Amino acid sequence: MEISVNSASCYKNDNLIFRDINLTLKNSDIALISGSNGSGKTTLIKSICGIQALESGNVSINDVDIENKNSTYIENIIYVGHKNSLNNDLTVYENLEYLSALDLSINSNNKLKIEEAMNYFNIYKYKDYPVKNLSEGNKKKTSLARLVMTKKKIWVLDEPLSFLDDKSTDIFINLMIKNQKNKGITILSSHIDLSKNIENIKHLRM
Amino acid sequence: MLKIIVQKELSVYFRNLNNIFLPLIFFFLIISIFPLVLGPEKKLFDKIIPGIIWITTILTTILTSNNFFKDDFNNGIIEIYLTSDSSIELILFLKIISSWFFTCLPIIVFIPLVSVLFNISFDSALVILATLIIGTPVLISIGIFGSALTMGLSKNNILIPVIVVPFYIPVLIFSASAIEAVSIGLSYEMQIYILLALLLLTLPIMPYLLKYTLRLSINN
Repeated sequence: MEISVNSASCYKNDNLIFRDINLTLKNSDIALISGSNGSGKTTLIKSICGIQALESGNVSINDVDIENKNSTYIENIIYVGHKNSLNNDLTVYENLEYLSALDLSINSNNKLKIEEAMNYFNIYKYKDYPVKNLSEGNKKKTSLARLVMTKKKIWVLDEPLSFLDDKSTDIFINLMIKNQKNKGITILSSHIDLSKNIENIKHLRM
Repeated sequence: MLKIIVQKELSVYFRNLNNIFLPLIFFFLIISIFPLVLGPEKKLFDKIIPGIIWITTILTTILTSNNFFKDDFNNGIIEIYLTSDSSIELILFLKIISSWFFTCLPIIVFIPLVSVLFNISFDSALVILATLIIGTPVLISIGIFGSALTMGLSKNNILIPVIVVPFYIPVLIFSASAIEAVSIGLSYEMQIYILLALLLLTLPIMPYLLKYTLRLSINN
């Protein structure tokens, strides 16, 4: 599997967000996108997911443009956004159940899988708490717990490390290393330099 | 998967019971304003009460579908929908149905009570009921479409009615004409069939239209 961003440019309301971004990732690659505020990290991440349209250039997987909606792309991409993608009225468990229903790579009978995901991020004790009562860090961990459940290979993560404490950051880095060993591709944006923690990390400065 | 989605939709509604009761209370408040303003002249009321019921229903559906996608947009769930590999059209369809179930069905259930209060004849009440049952799903799904269209804009409270109300007109014309026909003793089947056709045209294409619209308006 190979995902590549080819000379991508993006404008919003006639303002240039970024220009001529090139990035090629093969199996087991981890790419860290960093840059100052407003440099277009989120926009680039969204355009890799196909949510944001590009002005010129394209994003392709195995040399097929993602606009063609080929099945490798749709079956493999998982996006964890800057927003938590959780419903405030539902509990942690119900939210994970809902998110796993939206992910066809997870078996529908997945009680154990959800519990495993909650244990992985140490949020099992909040299982029956409505999400609106959780702290920001625990909300972030709940939305990242999707990654423990999924079998999808291309992880596109926007600021996954914000609000996480040191211990949870280590847990999350281990999760990314696990995906690397499974020949998955991870693209994340962050201000934190992860090159000490992860070998062979590709760095894209915007 | 279907079971989980339905279950979650229901629990979101049941945990915010005001989402179910407030439209109903609003409906009764507006309905009861008309006699206060227009005076208790019975002849006038016999003529205009079906129209009042319809106008009030429209106001209620507009207000309830106004911010239909707002929470999901702010929480980032729409982005998950658009990057998901499961059938989003099905989820959107279930959302339309549950929205109808919890905002329009309570009103329809209370129509017999309204008919008694305003002394509407049995035949007219039956036709009002039929047009509401067939018409409100169309109104709700068009309202939700307006909400999808303006999802990313911050101040959109008046914009949605301005976009949506022109699309309500066909439903209104045929409902009003059915009620008119029954009140002067004519056959009203043709109008009901046309309403049914509108429903069967709108409901199946709406989920696909919504998905496309959400993709367009997510970056506004």
